[in-house]
Amino acid sequence: MLLDPRAILMFGANVLLLYLTLLVNSALTNWSIYLLLMGPMLVFPALYLRHQSYFICTLLTGLWVDAAFPVPYGLFTIGFLFAGAFVFQMRIRFRAEHNYHPIMLAHGLNFFCVVLLTLTMGFSYISSPGFWVQVFVTSLASHLALVLVAPWFFNFERMLFELCRLDTEPEDFPML
Amino acid sequence: MANIRLEKIKPLVALGVFLVAWWVVPTTVKSFLRVNFSEFQAPAWVATSYLDDLEGFWARRSHSKVELIEAGREVARAKSLYQFNAQRKETLENEIQRLEAILNLPSRREFRYEVARVVRRDLNAWWQQIIIRKGKDYDIPEGAAVVFSGGVVGRVVEVNAFTSRVELVTSPNFRMAANFEGDERPVVYQGVVQGGLGAPIGSVRDAPQDVVASTQFPLKLVSTRLGGTFPPGLMIGRVSWLEPGSTGIFQAGQVELDTSLLGLREVAVLIPLYPIDFDSHAP
Repeated sequence: MLLDPRAILMFGANVLLLYLTLLVNSALTNWSIYLLLMGPMLVFPALYLRHQSYFICTLLTGLWVDAAFPVPYGLFTIGFLFAGAFVFQMRIRFRAEHNYHPIMLAHGLNFFCVVLLTLTMGFSYISSPGFWVQVFVTSLASHLALVLVAPWFFNFERMLFELCRLDTEPEDFPML
Repeated sequence: MANIRLEKIKPLVALGVFLVAWWVVPTTVKSFLRVNFSEFQAPAWVATSYLDDLEGFWARRSHSKVELIEAGREVARAKSLYQFNAQRKETLENEIQRLEAILNLPSRREFRYEVARVVRRDLNAWWQQIIIRKGKDYDIPEGAAVVFSGGVVGRVVEVNAFTSRVELVTSPNFRMAANFEGDERPVVYQGVVQGGLGAPIGSVRDAPQDVVASTQFPLKLVSTRLGGTFPPGLMIGRVSWLEPGSTGIFQAGQVELDTSLLGLREVAVLIPLYPIDFDSHAP
């Protein structure tokens, strides 16, 4: 099969996560809190799917996220594929059927997204203390939110697989 | 063995091929992709905004009749005040036009106000923007000024079919000509990176040396007609202190902006009735 049906479900879940995150961010502007929750979007495609399906799912997710933000077009697409390739290469080391490893990966990938944005969009403000305060607050709030959101998101994706009667196991089993 | 090795480097090879392809692909294709993906997302935001309106409607329906009668009375009072103000404005407008005709002054820019709901607020360290629920369907032009009851909001930077993206006055990329109230000399307002704690701020520079601001008597920074985007006299913020700028000739300072900017729900887009044609109007 050209595309694993789970890739479509994962892309749909990613779209939903982005939408919900932006909705929450829109409501939190009065408290000057912003959440950047992109790490979980990259974990399951890289751990569960064959290369072709992973690539298509991550590419579409990147293009979708790029269109939602005022960033140079392709920033998240290339960033996601870069981070995804890194995880994909090492996926045999992770246990995707439990949440512990995916959550750790989600935190790592989310931090990568914060660094990517800071280097690309905030390079001209790096001398401003206010910028770093806000980046720190955003990172802290995002990673605290991830503690709750990441397990929910991964369980939600697994539930979708079960509802659609799809394989709930990853393609490659971990090395024991 | 060779197959296993090939399988291991497959993601890197695919990434390399994609990077080359992305570099080769023309900008028009990328713009096409961006516009299409943006338009795909827009209906979800527009629908959310309408649902929000519906929620407000049902919330108001739950009010008692006594509350509604009281609210109606307040609206009637406000309406009569605005009617009186509208008559006064018309008289003053006529007077201004008469004086302008006597003095042979050039005509002023006129604007049409398009009120739009805010469907998404996106304020963070990297960008400061809002998305409004009107776009090409209401002839919103790129670069149009956006205002609210508290003054200047920002400028339209992207127009889609049903939504528009507005860069806020707090964004470091936002810059406009301004002047202090009662002083016609122009200064430059620019947004700054927001610290995230406290009220939103901006910066003012190129202020003349003789201008004095203090916390007891802060100066009101307002828009000027220079630049042509904003009508004159719209509130930008208050300046409590000024200090010598980097050149030493002019002064610079911090502008305290309206805190309502963080929670905007409705704004007005100023659409010029007679857009400037830079080719024919250039000297």
